[in-house]
Amino acid sequence: MKLHRPTRRTFLKTGTAAATLMGFGPALLRQAAAQEADLAPYKSAKIDWQQATGETITVAVIPASYFENLITLAPQFKTLTGIDVRFEKIPPAQIRQKSVIDLTSKTGTYATHAADPMYYALYAANKWVEPLDTYLKDPKLTDPAWFNFDDIIPAWRSADSVGGKLYGVPYDGEVTIQVYRKDLYDAKGLKPANTLEAYMANAAALNSPNDRVWGAALRGVAGAGQNMYIYPSIFREFGGEWLKGGKLTVNGPEAEAALAWYIDLMRKYAPTAAANWNWPDIADAFSQGTVASYIDAHSSASVVNNPEKSKVIGKVAYARWPKGPSGKRVTSIWNWGFPINSALPEKRKKATWLFIQWAASAETQARTAHRFAGPAKRSGVNRSSIWRDPEYVKLMNGFGDNFVEATMEALQSDTDVDWRPRVPQWPAIGDTMATAIQSALSGQATIKVALDDAQRRIEPMMRG
Amino acid sequence: MAPTTDMAAAAAAAIVPNDFSRVLAQRERRFAAALLAPAFLALLATTTFPLMFLVWTSAFRMDLAMPFANGFVGFENYQALLTDERFWSSLLLSLVYTASTVVLQVVIGLALALLVMDMKRGQGWFRLIAILPVVLSPAVVGMIWRTFMLAPEFGIVDFLAINAGIGSKNWLGDPLLAMVSVIAIHTWQWTPFAFMVLLASLAALPEDIYEAARLDRATAWQRFRRITLPLLRPAIVMVIIMRTMVALTAFAAIFTVTAGGPGTATEILNLYAYRKSFTELSIGYGSALAVALLIVTVIISGVLFALRRAK
Repeated sequence: MKLHRPTRRTFLKTGTAAATLMGFGPALLRQAAAQEADLAPYKSAKIDWQQATGETITVAVIPASYFENLITLAPQFKTLTGIDVRFEKIPPAQIRQKSVIDLTSKTGTYATHAADPMYYALYAANKWVEPLDTYLKDPKLTDPAWFNFDDIIPAWRSADSVGGKLYGVPYDGEVTIQVYRKDLYDAKGLKPANTLEAYMANAAALNSPNDRVWGAALRGVAGAGQNMYIYPSIFREFGGEWLKGGKLTVNGPEAEAALAWYIDLMRKYAPTAAANWNWPDIADAFSQGTVASYIDAHSSASVVNNPEKSKVIGKVAYARWPKGPSGKRVTSIWNWGFPINSALPEKRKKATWLFIQWAASAETQARTAHRFAGPAKRSGVNRSSIWRDPEYVKLMNGFGDNFVEATMEALQSDTDVDWRPRVPQWPAIGDTMATAIQSALSGQATIKVALDDAQRRIEPMMRG
Repeated sequence: MAPTTDMAAAAAAAIVPNDFSRVLAQRERRFAAALLAPAFLALLATTTFPLMFLVWTSAFRMDLAMPFANGFVGFENYQALLTDERFWSSLLLSLVYTASTVVLQVVIGLALALLVMDMKRGQGWFRLIAILPVVLSPAVVGMIWRTFMLAPEFGIVDFLAINAGIGSKNWLGDPLLAMVSVIAIHTWQWTPFAFMVLLASLAALPEDIYEAARLDRATAWQRFRRITLPLLRPAIVMVIIMRTMVALTAFAAIFTVTAGGPGTATEILNLYAYRKSFTELSIGYGSALAVALLIVTVIISGVLFALRRAK
């Protein structure tokens, strides 16, 4: 009798075969999907999609569902253009540094990357990225009627421009809005706040730590993209101006009043731990029912509506930012946009532009949003036309009452290009302000001392 | 002509045996140098060159935010550094952090080692468990403490504090508590190292001295003061030196736990240099800060090594 015993060789063989199958399996499936997909909507554009065929580009993105959806569709782009796209996923905390290091070294590792709109001033000052107007206007590269650039949300376009010149094309964006528990509000007869004062009063009315419900929460953790993502809105609503008479100013009575409001809310009506929270922590706490309201990105709605985790589905509603003493509502202007790295050879720049055009086009936006086959739907599409598409609006309104209205109104009337100081020194300023806000919140310094100290540190940064 | 040649040949022949070994030795040296060269060059390229480049960079203004203002500035960065309050406060924090973590590690490590020495059973298990924190990555340790242990209302330490009647504290949100927390975390992770080294040295101490001391009726405290401590001195000094150098350049755990916050309450010099260079993109000044940290580390370890040689 002969038993079949796996020798080392046969074991290796089967192992390799299995590994190959596992490695290529998804690729084969994706290829099949690509062939199935209809490329006609893209081919109606009057440009030669194949003009940079054979190129390979690397795109740095963050690990988020809106980029995952795009990565799933990448084989369609390959079939359309013959360009290979390699995606590299970098966590949001590191993507800015990694791309800045790549841009300074001029190695052209990342043909394009998901860029923070606040960094374009820095990029432009160093000429690290290409002005995109030439690409937009070149009839060989762009079909203006097909691409319909003006359809992209105007606030995001201006956020990605410096001195009137476009440096990045928005792919996905967000605005900050009020998110609140309508069941708790209704029980006390409260309405979503129309003013910051009313917001504080609502938080006071609902705050009940003994029942493990806190009135409100805002981002507390220090960082240019964390507490300095929320505070600028408050600062502007209190009448603050970053570039007062051409000089960058972060202290003064408006700043003190704004910071005092923020600290008051955080100390009195937010969980103590919120001092170290970023938006995912806030959304988690809200979905566990421990926070009655927060002001943050509208995209966090997908977290508080996650059927696997959230206990508050169906109890969530939305409203715009409350008005400040200046009578203004100021929301954030955030979008992940794609610039073109200047260090690339000419043909690869064209390949990169074709990729950007493909990713930002209405067709791809729709295919990664309401027409996406997977479970994750995007809430930050870049096209006004899609925001009016009944199919998309219906899907989005599943997040809760008033979601689309609040988001659209915020996008149209509450955005403010001077929400944060758009200067090349932003990374340093953002970090200095974030530290100042946190040291005031933790009681390390008084409000006035913290802000005056920040001003003193920022002044030499602005001197040439 | 012929005789001269002969004479020269004879002279050469006379020299050869004497010279031969020297030539051989020289060749050997060259060969050894050739063998050593790749490693030496690699070392130069990976350690010395970056260090020199750091010092070189610190003499420039290099602000990525204002490329037009960049250029050679000599000692200007260092002048700015001397008047920078945040530099001095971060240096002070570095020293406080280093001194307190090293003292705690040695004291707790020594106490544990003395206790475990007398353990009859289970010493092996104890050692195995004690070493676990050391093998963890500091970044992982930081994440665990930040989320599991210290989060107010939700963390284990806070739970214990509430039950102990101290009440819920904002461990990482209060300037003083945050500093205490990062010191505790570092001590928690690295005390086992001091413990293991001291335990090994304790085990190697000669038993007969203790026996003689007992015959002379020396008390336990006297035996500890007069015998154990002096004999352990080399090991303790070595632990202090190694731990000091690591504590001065600590980064990952603090970075993940507080990132220097709240405000600048736990911003040690290393974190400040990192922030200046890579967040504020002011590379020249950041390099000057790193050089300052290097100088401080060299001075402190120089003093410690001198102390070690002193007796």
